[in-house]
Amino acid sequence: MSSWNPERKQSLVGWDSHLSRIFFLLLLFVVSAQGVTPNPEACLVSSSVSGSSISCQPPAQIPKSLPADTIFLAVEFFNLTQLPADFLQGIPNLQELHLSTNRLENLSPKFLLPVPQLKVLDLTHNSLTRLPPGLFRVSAALCTLVLKENQLKFLEASWLHGLKALQHLDLSENQLQSLPPGLLENFTNLLTLDLSNNQLQTLPPDLLRGPLNLERLRLEGNRLQVLGERLLAPQSKLRYLFLNDNRLASVAAGAFRGLQKLDMLDLSNNLLTTVPTGLWTSLGKAARNLKDGFDISSNPWICDQNLADLYHWLVANEDKMFFRNHTRCAGPEALKGQMLLAVAGSH
Amino acid sequence: MADAETGKKIFIQKCAQCHTVEKGGKHKTGPNLWGLFGRKTGQAPGFSYTEANKSKGIIWGEQTLMEYLENPKKYIPGTKMIFAGLKKKSEREDLIEYLKQATSS
Repeated sequence: MSSWNPERKQSLVGWDSHLSRIFFLLLLFVVSAQGVTPNPEACLVSSSVSGSSISCQPPAQIPKSLPADTIFLAVEFFNLTQLPADFLQGIPNLQELHLSTNRLENLSPKFLLPVPQLKVLDLTHNSLTRLPPGLFRVSAALCTLVLKENQLKFLEASWLHGLKALQHLDLSENQLQSLPPGLLENFTNLLTLDLSNNQLQTLPPDLLRGPLNLERLRLEGNRLQVLGERLLAPQSKLRYLFLNDNRLASVAAGAFRGLQKLDMLDLSNNLLTTVPTGLWTSLGKAARNLKDGFDISSNPWICDQNLADLYHWLVANEDKMFFRNHTRCAGPEALKGQMLLAVAGSH
Repeated sequence: MADAETGKKIFIQKCAQCHTVEKGGKHKTGPNLWGLFGRKTGQAPGFSYTEANKSKGIIWGEQTLMEYLENPKKYIPGTKMIFAGLKKKSEREDLIEYLKQATSS
């Protein structure tokens, strides 16, 4: 581990040390004049008043010891299946840990005990099938947890115990088929939840009863068939809702009733033929009125009287409509292939 | 043919959690991107970048963004941006087309 650290004070005495200091400063000057030309064989090290940042990718070697003031550590693109025991020992101020694109299969239950101030943990693209119980027992400061692209087939609520402060949870691109009840019960600070690109067929209706401050919910790329009344009922602060690329054929009339601040709704690429009366008028009451847009394209819409509410709403909000050309009627026969917007306008 | 409409959706879905694009938009986990094209890395005023980003030293444009957005951590080792990248070329093209329009007047 390099101990060369230009910003750390060193006490130097004597004439020799004056020369050393001059040489040192010259070296520093030369290096800064050339800009940082990182040696790929070494980890990138930088330092600030807050502490050291260490970033390692192959061909650099993973350091055996780290500066005690390390606040940022990235060890990525190695093919580690396990982390060395006591990997985080001696760096109690660690705030961010980036371990993406390794092949981690297991984490020790004590792995995070030395780093109670950790705010960000990125485990994107590893091979985790489970998390050990108690993993997060001292992780009350963790704000962001990313488990994207692992091999989780199921979750147990106990795996996430301890994450009181969690704001961003990313479980996307796993193989989750279902979620256990009470998974997010105590996640009152959660702002974003990403469950996209899993294999979820249903969701427990009380899934979102805990995180009442949710702003972004990504459910795209699953196998959901039905959107019930209860799931989103308490989500008055929800701003972005992605339900695209599922198998939704049925949306309950009150499904969006509680959403008062929705900025964007994506229902594209589902199996929607119709929507129940009242569904769209409840959206219209949303304070921000979908200001960032909505997408209902690539659904097999049956353009009959049942869409009257939707037509009315479309005409009033067409400027926010994504992919008008791909939002077409699949029936009845007379209207097959027509743009929904055109049919709505002539209604 | 790059499609800004698709790019806008990609941005809202995958980027907007941490970035804004409009002039005067606030910094979040990541910097506001107004004025991105033609600017050197790590230069959005008022954002605290990593050393790695500040010293990458390239100018953001279509080509550099195509490379970066495929694998950000390979392009800027040491970045704190948590984003695995967009593998599909067409998605990157669409997103870049949107960014071109949304980050300049």
